[in-house]
Amino acid sequence: MKKALALVMSSALTFSLLTACGNKTEQNASESGGKVKIEFFHYKPEARGTFDKLIEKFEKENPNIDVVNANPPDAGTVLKTRAAKRDMPDIVGVGADTTFAELAKAGMFEDVTKAPELNNIQPSYIQMVKDVSGLEQVYAIPYAANADAVIYNKAIFKELGLSVPKTWDEFIAAAEKIKAAGKTPFYFTFKDAWTTLPAYNALAANTQGETFFQDLNKGKTSFEKGYKEATEKFVELLKYGHKDQFGKGYADGNVAFAKGESAMYLQGIWAIPEIKKANPNIELGVFPYPVTNNPEQTKLVSGVDLLFAISKTSKHPKEAKKFIDFLLKEENAKAYMAEQNALSAIKGLTQEDPMLEGLKESFAKGALVDFPDHYIPPSINLANLLQQLTHDQDVEKFLKTMDAEWEKVKERK
Amino acid sequence: MTVPAVVLFAVFHTFPALQGIFYSFTNWDGLSLTYDFVGLKNYYYLFRDENVWHSYLFTFQFAIVSTVLVNVLSLAIVIGLNEKIKFKNFFRAVYFLPNVLSVLIVGYIFNYLFANVLPLWGEKLGIEALSTNILGSEKWAWVGIVIVAVWQACALNTILYLAGLQTVPSELYEASSLDGASKWQNFRHITFPMIAPFFTINMVLAMKNFLMVFDQVVALTGGGPGRATESISLLIYNGGFQGGEFAYQSANSVIYFIVIMAVSILQIKFLQKREVDM
Repeated sequence: MKKALALVMSSALTFSLLTACGNKTEQNASESGGKVKIEFFHYKPEARGTFDKLIEKFEKENPNIDVVNANPPDAGTVLKTRAAKRDMPDIVGVGADTTFAELAKAGMFEDVTKAPELNNIQPSYIQMVKDVSGLEQVYAIPYAANADAVIYNKAIFKELGLSVPKTWDEFIAAAEKIKAAGKTPFYFTFKDAWTTLPAYNALAANTQGETFFQDLNKGKTSFEKGYKEATEKFVELLKYGHKDQFGKGYADGNVAFAKGESAMYLQGIWAIPEIKKANPNIELGVFPYPVTNNPEQTKLVSGVDLLFAISKTSKHPKEAKKFIDFLLKEENAKAYMAEQNALSAIKGLTQEDPMLEGLKESFAKGALVDFPDHYIPPSINLANLLQQLTHDQDVEKFLKTMDAEWEKVKERK
Repeated sequence: MTVPAVVLFAVFHTFPALQGIFYSFTNWDGLSLTYDFVGLKNYYYLFRDENVWHSYLFTFQFAIVSTVLVNVLSLAIVIGLNEKIKFKNFFRAVYFLPNVLSVLIVGYIFNYLFANVLPLWGEKLGIEALSTNILGSEKWAWVGIVIVAVWQACALNTILYLAGLQTVPSELYEASSLDGASKWQNFRHITFPMIAPFFTINMVLAMKNFLMVFDQVVALTGGGPGRATESISLLIYNGGFQGGEFAYQSANSVIYFIVIMAVSILQIKFLQKREVDM
């Protein structure tokens, strides 16, 4: 009995040792076989199938390269722990968010500032990649973008004789009218804290001013000054919800909106595929959040939803670049945009889906602005603070907490 | 036999723990190649961080209520299961079932109940408090978590109490029945004192487990609404891994470790004294 246990223990140890160096042996084997293995790590589970198809096509064209489609759950955290272990995948596909910013700052990615591929990308998205990391160099190639816009039910709008609101006053008036007709203007899903962010991002981006975060870092302004209008407007929107708005989550909201339980849905276009899944026949449209009373000034919040970065420690940067170039090719990018309902960061590639008609103008004008929450450190936990705000609706307290948390995180650095 | 065990324990437990203590004196964000030593700075800021205080408050409130509830409930279940009832073994299996299920699955099932089924009943019965999802309420979300956690934890504690009951000699009950003792007197003067060591171990285990509550919170509320149900483990996980404050939350976990150890030792000391007194 004792012997058997010892055997199990020691074999468990050897096994763990073996798996620890498994990566290396695997790589050597693949190289000696004439095949190069590169790992493509991305955070989009919904795009897994699309990438599978593209990878298959790529491997046919390049029989000596084997691309692994790695897409674990909770990819951001997995990526960070792998970075801490210095075991980065060859290609990283994430959004221009704090995960990307931290990794770029930590020097994990190759500098692509001078890459010719960037000539073909919308400059505003390249700027966003720079801004979010706070660095002079560009460390990733933007690929797809999303848009933070109000989704509305065309059938209900027609029934009540409403047109798409262009100003804040029209927006509130439309909500009033829907409420008066006994319907729900907005379906809120505050049980999931993050669902407060789409609306708040749009409000803040349009009212905070151009240089808010630069000024904040210099100590010239505060959330109490710069975010007051956005927060007050956010609280005003809360009047037009439904009864159990604290108890419903994102998934509930998608289904409820699809079933016509509310006229508008304060989300981004990423929710559309889920809504369509729940009701393929729904007639929906989107429009940018009309935050101010000057429609000329309205900016659409649109961020880089997917970018490609090559890790500095990659053993096969050439092959990795080849794969990225392949994805950037017009036909392949088009296939991705069509299947994922996404907007392209590539110049001249427009999303032709009639559902997204309402956003065309903003894109044509270039009236785009990045998500403000990407500039707020995650340890502040903006989403949960906003969730708190939906409960007590105390604007003053919220702004004070934001300032206090910002200070605290800065101090601890 | 002991050597591999010691090696395994050291590699997977002692070494990472020491590493955590080491990082708590640095300013490492969990990613960068470099870090500096900052001494006790992290600890200093920890004590000034009201989010930390708040999560301790929530966690202790939750743990105390749940520990008491779990022990009362599993004692009651065990007394019932020890009676001469039909399908005794079947019921024993049923009560153990929650322990077999994964916490996340249980969490999602209850999530559905709280979000859809309970409000429907509340509406029908005209109970205002139940007509909305309690997990979305700042005041009551913690009760939802207590319900799920207790429901699941009862299984293990029940099994331990059942084992304890087997150690009580039946002559004692025979003697007491001759004296005409009631059921309550039986429990008060025989059963409970006789299973005192099991009571101790159950209290300590339950308290320790509930102080470390994590998955139930993730599955049910994600720490919300606001920060109302943010437990210490969740704060450490969120701040350390997603918030980029690895060293700071390492300091938090060092303190957390000391606190849990202190609570467990105090409990054992206090409860064991009670055992001797009997």
